[in-house]
Amino acid sequence: MPAAPQRFVLGYAVGWLALAALLIPLFVVSGALSWTEAVLFLIPLTGVYAAVCGSSRYLASSSLLEGNSFARVLFVVVPAVVASGFWTLLAALSAPIAARALPAPDMASRFNAQLPLLFGVGVLVYLLYTAFNELGRQAERSRLAEVRAVEATMMARDAELRALKAQVNPHFLFNSLHSISALTSIDPARARETCILLADFLRSTLGLGDRAAISFGEELDLTRKYLGVEQVRFPGRMEVEESISPDSLDVLVPPLLLQPLFENAVKHGVSTMSSGGWLKIRAGIQDGALLLELDNAYDPEAPVRRGHGVGLSNVRKRLEARYGDAAGITAVPSGSVWTTRLRLPVERKEKA
Amino acid sequence: MTAIKAMIVDDEDLARHYLREMLSHHGDIEVIAECSNGFEAVKEVSSRRPDLLFLDIQMPKLDGFEVLDLLDPGIAVVFVTAFDSYAIRAFEVHAVDYLLKPFSEKRFEEALSRARLRIGASPAPPAPEATELAAAARPPSEFLCRIVARDGANIHIIPVEKVDYVEAQEDYVLLKTAGKGILKRQTISSLEASLDPDRFVRIHRSLLVNIERIARIEPLKRDSKVVVLRDGTQLPVSRSGLDRLKALLGEEA
Repeated sequence: MPAAPQRFVLGYAVGWLALAALLIPLFVVSGALSWTEAVLFLIPLTGVYAAVCGSSRYLASSSLLEGNSFARVLFVVVPAVVASGFWTLLAALSAPIAARALPAPDMASRFNAQLPLLFGVGVLVYLLYTAFNELGRQAERSRLAEVRAVEATMMARDAELRALKAQVNPHFLFNSLHSISALTSIDPARARETCILLADFLRSTLGLGDRAAISFGEELDLTRKYLGVEQVRFPGRMEVEESISPDSLDVLVPPLLLQPLFENAVKHGVSTMSSGGWLKIRAGIQDGALLLELDNAYDPEAPVRRGHGVGLSNVRKRLEARYGDAAGITAVPSGSVWTTRLRLPVERKEKA
Repeated sequence: MTAIKAMIVDDEDLARHYLREMLSHHGDIEVIAECSNGFEAVKEVSSRRPDLLFLDIQMPKLDGFEVLDLLDPGIAVVFVTAFDSYAIRAFEVHAVDYLLKPFSEKRFEEALSRARLRIGASPAPPAPEATELAAAARPPSEFLCRIVARDGANIHIIPVEKVDYVEAQEDYVLLKTAGKGILKRQTISSLEASLDPDRFVRIHRSLLVNIERIARIEPLKRDSKVVVLRDGTQLPVSRSGLDRLKALLGEEA
């Protein structure tokens, strides 16, 4: 709908007056009407046609214009013929009335002889009018599509930013540094090793902000580094078991998508258990989608920790912004195992 | 001079080891126990009665706040945590000190000096009840999900939705769940403050009721009413308690 109805109505009136200005000389030159007759009769008549077209403009609405070309032509031409026919009929019926009112006794017969001309102009104008409307609709539609695209990009960027902010969970960082600090006197070699592991993880996350996608294999490496650091904190409480199908490794995924899932598995899983914690990672391709399953042991009786669901909802939002309905994530507990399932469409780097 | 008896509570081996190492430089301090989860901590503290407790917050089974909630007052507590700043504010007011991981030996010495002052002070400065400290450390918009209570060596963990009502008994509260009663040393007002006010209503000076357990409200005598719970229990309602109930249930009450 037009944003400014007043401007719309004004434009409409100007358009139809222009049509009248075209019709008047046409009928004068063809010898059907005198100048006075033409002005007095044709201006109101064009006004009537404006109303006819205006009220039928939703008939030829966009849904009808999306079929094949024959149907499309039919849906444009038929209303044009009908509208113009109706208009011509009105003109033929009102000509005698005008002739008596003017008065100009033979005007009706002179005018009626030129009815085919009126009909032709009517069809032509209706077609032009439809085309004009359609153009407007297309412009509106592409504007809307553009707005939606911009919104999606902004959401994705936003999610990216949130993910990047969350990438180095301060608790994780402080606790790991504390472990390193403790190790320096017990096992200096291990302290150095852990330092390097932590630095490796941090460095790999830093470069990722600029990249739209990384391979699933790279993403897995990143989580392995992360888990490696956490294993120093929780020795014996963090068995990690992997079963990754090789054809999934080159699938492209948004960077750091998995990180919050693994952080959750540690924060709400492993760290709630006094001993015997574990994580199981399975990944593979199924029906054109990458499936990742992450199981982790947890203690259902453990104290509730804050921040549950924030990481997960961020992942969900990022998936939605990028893949729409084609991707999804669920996380459900069952007994003392928490299972997170992630599914996203397979995209691969094009081979150069 | 007798040694100060200290205990270390942390679920991470390395973190415990670090504290043990720091403490080993001080001859007047004896580490009497180390615990890796909240249950152990509560049991050890009640049987061995330390003077000083180094306490982590995020732990399996019971977290640091819940441990604190179950301890007898009078123990000097130093928090050792990587926890958020709002919690730290509460510690600043109430705890002897807090150590943020990772911390230096110098910072540790400071905490230890403060603890020595607290332990050696005679008479001991008025320390807040552990329960009040635990309540103060909770973020303002968050309510308890479960209540911990202890009788002797038994620790009860009661999810708040299982509580029918709470009755004040002098310095204690009696938590009624499915006909059983569990005593906890806490004032009814401080418990009320840590529970969701949309779920628990103070219907009487000494009664806090789970609104989901209320079956109906019946007139008792002229001008007075009783709340009848689903299991048939009748509880007296004060005038202001009735107003609070009405506000929460809408005018049909």
